[in-house]
Amino acid sequence: MHFENIADGVRLCAQSTDKFKTCRINVSMAMPLDTNASARAILPFILQRRCAKYPDFTTLNRVLDELYGASVSAGVIRRGEAQILSFNLTAIDDRFALDGDTVALECVQLLCDMIFDPLTDGDSFPADIVEQEKRLLIEAIENEMNDKRRYALMRCEEIMFDEEAYGINRLGTVADVKDLTPDDIYYAWKEELREAQIQITMVGSMDVEPVANMLKERFSSIKRQPTEITTKFISAIPKPDYVCEEMPIKQGKLVMGFRTGMRNEDDNPVPMRIAVDIFGGGTYSKLFSVVREKMSLCYYCSAAFFSSKGVVMVQSGIEDVNEEKAKSEIVNQLSLVADGQFTDDDFSSSIKSLTDSIISNNDTPESICAWYATQLLRDTLKTPEAYVEEIKNVDKQQVISAAKTIKLDTVFMLKSNGEVADDED
Amino acid sequence: MKINEIKNELLGEMYYDIDHPSGLKILIMPKVGYASTYAIFATKYGSIDTMIEMKDGTFSQIPEGTAHFLEHKLFESEDLDAFERFAKTGASANAYTSFDRTGYLFSCSANFKKNLEILLDFVQNPYFTQATVEKEQGIIGQEIDMYKDIPDWEVMFNCLRNMYHNLPVRIDIAGTQESIAQITADMLYGCYNNFYNLNNMVLAVAGNTTVDEVLEVADAVLKPVEGKMAQRKIIDEPREVRADYCEKKLSVATPQFMLGFKEEWDTPERTAKEEITMEILLDMISGPSTDLYRRLFDANLINNSFGFEYFTGFGYSCVLFAGESNDPKAVAEEIKKEIKHFRENGFDEKVFERTKKKLYGRMIMGMNDVDSLANNMAVSYFAGEDVFTDFETYKTVTVEDIKAMLDKTLDENYSTLSVILPN
Repeated sequence: MHFENIADGVRLCAQSTDKFKTCRINVSMAMPLDTNASARAILPFILQRRCAKYPDFTTLNRVLDELYGASVSAGVIRRGEAQILSFNLTAIDDRFALDGDTVALECVQLLCDMIFDPLTDGDSFPADIVEQEKRLLIEAIENEMNDKRRYALMRCEEIMFDEEAYGINRLGTVADVKDLTPDDIYYAWKEELREAQIQITMVGSMDVEPVANMLKERFSSIKRQPTEITTKFISAIPKPDYVCEEMPIKQGKLVMGFRTGMRNEDDNPVPMRIAVDIFGGGTYSKLFSVVREKMSLCYYCSAAFFSSKGVVMVQSGIEDVNEEKAKSEIVNQLSLVADGQFTDDDFSSSIKSLTDSIISNNDTPESICAWYATQLLRDTLKTPEAYVEEIKNVDKQQVISAAKTIKLDTVFMLKSNGEVADDED
Repeated sequence: MKINEIKNELLGEMYYDIDHPSGLKILIMPKVGYASTYAIFATKYGSIDTMIEMKDGTFSQIPEGTAHFLEHKLFESEDLDAFERFAKTGASANAYTSFDRTGYLFSCSANFKKNLEILLDFVQNPYFTQATVEKEQGIIGQEIDMYKDIPDWEVMFNCLRNMYHNLPVRIDIAGTQESIAQITADMLYGCYNNFYNLNNMVLAVAGNTTVDEVLEVADAVLKPVEGKMAQRKIIDEPREVRADYCEKKLSVATPQFMLGFKEEWDTPERTAKEEITMEILLDMISGPSTDLYRRLFDANLINNSFGFEYFTGFGYSCVLFAGESNDPKAVAEEIKKEIKHFRENGFDEKVFERTKKKLYGRMIMGMNDVDSLANNMAVSYFAGEDVFTDFETYKTVTVEDIKAMLDKTLDENYSTLSVILPN
């Protein structure tokens, strides 16, 4: 892996390999997640669909088609209390181009054009484009309710983190998007280029140097003032919150939010990851083997650990009548982990499974890029191999100690309101 | 044992095609520089197989969702179940049931031989009891309910139910609460014996392995059984759609739609060339670079979720356009108008070449990951092709083929619109 500082707070991270048939580039730009989320969230979509050189998405898409179907996608991610704008580009490796075309570098050029040289009408974004993108972002926020599993998780997070930045939707709110003006967004774009913590991660066979030079040139005219991004870690409230909402749905969704007691991202995250995995990770976990397999309560019941905020979220899809049974069993299973009531086999299954899947990250360009891009706020980057070594050095006692500090904070239940029509057919 | 090498010069890829003495087809693509290996053991038995061929050649009906139910149950055994066995090796194991196949799979970056042994062993050793069948009815019942709340899923099955009178592709892969309640342990054994003989199956492996490694395990674990490739029955289906419109209310923010065009062919399966021709045709009509896409976008009729699919399998083929829109009927009209426009005016050669170039790139991009490589090997084997067929076939497609394809498909008289409205 090649690391290089392109500018103040801008890091290039490149893995040169001809193992893949593609070239993959990720650009991630992080700012604090705050009430200005909407103005930033709309940016990657405005930038991705047009630029000064190719001023509308039809023209731009035709250019991408000519570049052998190269694809560019944009998105907004929350990591800890950072809002990350992310661009991903995939193009074929030059060795597959017909007629000796150089696809990869042209694609990087195009990606730079999108981010640094957008279509503007002087000192703002064109009003008609802003209106169209506002419509799309509003639909995207509203449609987050369509996926009930995700929606229930989001609602639980909104409630649990109502006084923390973590509870802000990474896309902002519909009301905020409606109020956005072209100038607000233009200002947010300038601010991103000046203040965001930025990492460019690339995987492929292309030379790093021309890419690094291209990026350095683009950043040379920007007076960088990278901002500090910190995430608050807090302990669980003494009496867990409970909120229940109703919707016309068939299956209930239970979400339980836990705080781990970690004081920051580096506060013993590896034993915690293993503890959460034994609790609700793989098929050997307590939640899968007991709540699903033994009790037949659900199709899925699992726990996810977010080290960037020190929280654990448990999700399950259940019949509404089984809510109490599921909740108390989930809490019970966690206490068993904390009491050390898991076997040496469970412990070694978890170590092996985590190790195996982390090493597999090396085998797709997407997962390599994602592995490093998520470390954008860290001073030094960890390889999958180094992380595996840390996992292997954890002992059972450390896992038990970690599990003991996990405390329930908020329970959210999405229930049926009894208004689901059955299919006629 | 016959071992063939299947190569593609341009991609610099090759894999081994092996007729194992047990009757199993084994496909192996060793990949240099990869840490992980992905293996899939699949049978040509999916949700559309609602009939079992009896010894006397007649067919007998089985409940909807049986293939999927069997997939769940095969993980169980008298002592350690398959998940517990894989937990000892660290592999990540799973299974899926689609319309026309069931696949059992794992990926791992260590203990490959042990994992392969577990995979081949548990799929060959069914263990069903009435008690475990009843336990699974609870889990799968929740899976069925979960899908009922997923609008993309509902809009698709409503569309298929609208389109087809008889074809089993119209039924939900997991079946219904009522149909799975009829499943018994004996029934599962019957289906198992019919569809899970090695002659009806394939093992595809890609990644960090060798032919010797795979064969060493296969030779030791595979048990030859009597059997043949299961025959699928051709089911009569009227040309007409069952209904040209349906709507259902779910809790969604923006309405969702799926517009389907039913096709009629003389043969039950589409060839690689037909599929690729259709893919290019659809991209030329409504892909992100087209005038139609632009018009729909600018009229606020679609968002990023708009897309299309050529949906084909044994006995069925149709074109599906889907997305989110505040006016699904207007989108459907615009698509139909554009189809008419191309029928009357033909296609631009330059656009055709550009679309082909894009397709070529996208095919290359699909050849990176060991999981898609292994799955593609298995799927193309069941289709009677190899994994590189598309790379050779796409070159032979001409703009005349595109026109000819449009002449016999996308007929609005056989179309149907399925809509999910907010409640």
